[in-house]
Amino acid sequence: MFQFKLVLLGDSSVGKSSIVHRFVKDSFDDFRESTIGAAFLSQTIKIRDTSSDSTEDTVIKFEIWDTAGQERYKSLAPMYYRNANAALVVYDITQQDSLSKAQNWVNELKNKVGDEDLIICLLGNKLDLCDSSDNGDKRAVMTDEAKVYAEEQDLLFYEVSAKTGQGVKDVFQSIGEKLYQIKKEEMLSKKGRQAASAKDSVNVKLQRPSTNDPTSCCY
Amino acid sequence: MDFLDEQYIENVPTPGAGNVVSSAGLKPPVARSGHSSGSAQLSRSSSFQWGLGNNVSSQPTTSVNMDQTICQISATPTSLTPVVTPSVTPAVTPDVVTSSPSIYRAVLLESRMNDAAENEAQANSRVLDKDDALMESMSQSIYSNVDSGRRIFPFVSVDIPTVFINKKPLTTEDLDLRCWDKNFFILTSAGKPIYSMHGKDEQIISFMGILHTVVNYFQLENSTDIRMIESGEQKFIFLDRSPIILVAYSTRGETSNELISQLDFLHSYLLSSLSQRQVSRIFDKRENFDLRNFLESTDFENLDEICSLISEKFYPDVLLGSLQCLTLNRSYRSQLHECMLQNLMRESDLPRGTLLYGLIVAPNSKLCSVLRPRGHTLHTTDLHLLFCLIFHQFQNLNENQELWVPICFPKFNSNGFLYCYIKFLSSPNYKISSKSRPVLVLISAQKDAFYQLKLLGDKLTSSITSNGLLDKIFQAQPVRIGDIQAPLVHHFLYKSKKHVQYVMPQLQFADRESDSVQAEEYEKKLMTYYQQIHNSVFSDGGIPFNKSIINFFNWESSLGPFEEPNNIGLIQGEKTQMLGLAWITPGFELYLISNNGVNDKRILLKSAKKIISWCRKNEGKIFVNEGATF
Repeated sequence: MFQFKLVLLGDSSVGKSSIVHRFVKDSFDDFRESTIGAAFLSQTIKIRDTSSDSTEDTVIKFEIWDTAGQERYKSLAPMYYRNANAALVVYDITQQDSLSKAQNWVNELKNKVGDEDLIICLLGNKLDLCDSSDNGDKRAVMTDEAKVYAEEQDLLFYEVSAKTGQGVKDVFQSIGEKLYQIKKEEMLSKKGRQAASAKDSVNVKLQRPSTNDPTSCCY
Repeated sequence: MDFLDEQYIENVPTPGAGNVVSSAGLKPPVARSGHSSGSAQLSRSSSFQWGLGNNVSSQPTTSVNMDQTICQISATPTSLTPVVTPSVTPAVTPDVVTSSPSIYRAVLLESRMNDAAENEAQANSRVLDKDDALMESMSQSIYSNVDSGRRIFPFVSVDIPTVFINKKPLTTEDLDLRCWDKNFFILTSAGKPIYSMHGKDEQIISFMGILHTVVNYFQLENSTDIRMIESGEQKFIFLDRSPIILVAYSTRGETSNELISQLDFLHSYLLSSLSQRQVSRIFDKRENFDLRNFLESTDFENLDEICSLISEKFYPDVLLGSLQCLTLNRSYRSQLHECMLQNLMRESDLPRGTLLYGLIVAPNSKLCSVLRPRGHTLHTTDLHLLFCLIFHQFQNLNENQELWVPICFPKFNSNGFLYCYIKFLSSPNYKISSKSRPVLVLISAQKDAFYQLKLLGDKLTSSITSNGLLDKIFQAQPVRIGDIQAPLVHHFLYKSKKHVQYVMPQLQFADRESDSVQAEEYEKKLMTYYQQIHNSVFSDGGIPFNKSIINFFNWESSLGPFEEPNNIGLIQGEKTQMLGLAWITPGFELYLISNNGVNDKRILLKSAKKIISWCRKNEGKIFVNEGATF
């Protein structure tokens, strides 16, 4: 089993928690409280390795950080995206402003993480509000606009709806496959001790603080 | 203060004002001119006064002089309609319980003058006539917390009758600020609104301006802070926590001290979200900063939640300044503490100091167990805030979701944030929604300690699951009034001062949850009974009248020729005779309410003794004592 860390970032009320809820529970709440701090949860998916002959599915476990979009929690963000394997940067396609916030997040990730292997996925949510057959099309961000930006920055790009579920599963599926590919190449290159190292390389507890500073506590 | 006159002040003479004894030092003399701002029932409340302050002193009292308090609560009966008239004479038995406490009487009056259009002068004379007679016969003080005109008749449960009128606007459109019998306002020292419990923006902004002017006037003219404006039953309480000013308005007869602790609770919430350091930094830079831009929607939701909790629900936590615990067998609790401690010790990878506190909290904000460093405790206010957040904000959670939440605990350290690992516990044997599941909270001062605490949390969870302790928490039964052989007692609150915790039997409506309106009425009614009992032994400033007091409080209805039984929502012909008891010693506080129709104080006193000895005997079961210390 492979384990990957995934973080959701984006402006508040773009629907990060709803996307996670759709992915994990396959359901949707119309009334969802704003996230305070961040929520941690995990979910497994199965992927089929198309290149190999094996017919067995590979299980991938996502450890997901669903962060609060509120400005005041911004200083905590590095803790969540540090060591992440993938970042979902979410915006609301009915809010132009949320795309520029998303772009800020992309820049921050590129500057601060500096990991070539970090997969960044730009995700436009609330596709259900943009049904063109309906009069109430509330789209504010054109698909092309975001798509061009995503291509420039070399990001994955999807438009989804957490409410209807449209596209949500696919996003996680394709991220899973991509991470799996990267991991497999990595393993092949270190063929000798692949099993052990592959396991360690994903499970190692990277969050241990570099200095265990006992003075920061209260007694 | 020209604009004050125009909108809010009606220059009504207050003939009774001379008789109103204000709580010493709290009420500046000028305050009366601004007394009526934004209040409900303005003209009516000021139009006549009963002037009963004088009568009170004629009532024999024992060692405690309660004149002030009595005058305060009895100062201004406002309305022409039902008048609830508990009168209070304190009985103080220094330490010795056996001396017979003197008797309290209260008279519940009704007048039929509920027609708002009725001529006031005529009404006054009629009520006063009747009252004079009453005065003579009983020489008691009278006060009213009853409003006239548009009011909702409260539901009367079969358990205890309602003697308080619920003042709630009938419509939700076009509400005047005066419709509400209680309101909270939060503004900046520069006069910018931050929050109000009721009222629309356009109403609030001008009103906050007035509050701001009043506060500044006292600071500039008298270089002192205004604490309270009182007029009849209307009360404004100010709490200046520069750069934030908090104001409470109420006509419900709470003591100043209670309102101040409610304001302090609201202020603590703001700090828990922002921290004092951040607040100071913001306002040092720009004094006229609009804090609303900095607060998030969750903050306003939480403030709404807290306001509703402390003013509409049965939430004695703030009144008593203590918290409730899960009733759990002593041995299970100590096993739980042992288990928490062992797991912590086993976690050798965990650097010392990473974990500050560990808590298991059962639903309804009941503390279950505590893991803490020796010599450190958490302040109850901080815990109340944490519990409010957990049980109101984190409801729609996925089952396997864990949270990492920065919270400032203002009484612990108002300048810094602590980080809480929060996990809702589930047992395979109990399929329950997250609302009624216990919660594990691990608190650290380090913002990146999540994975370490998660590791500890996972191990702790699996050990309390495997040894069955988690199921014991799920199975825990609240105290029921029937568990204690205390005849005639409807409900009680017992606070152990040593533990800073209280216990109470489960509310009776819990069995009939279907009717939420009924439950709400019941909660509010019960809370009001307790507030009045509590206020009978505490001064307006929150100090008990004596170290040891036993005090009876009586609500009685007498149906005279003037009364219409249905006016206050009583069932036709039902008589109200409620007896309350407050018993305070250096070790505990007990407040109890009898069933309706009880007037035998000796039996009630016996029951009170039974409750006390039961609580003492079961201390280990109903309170968390030391917790697990490391």
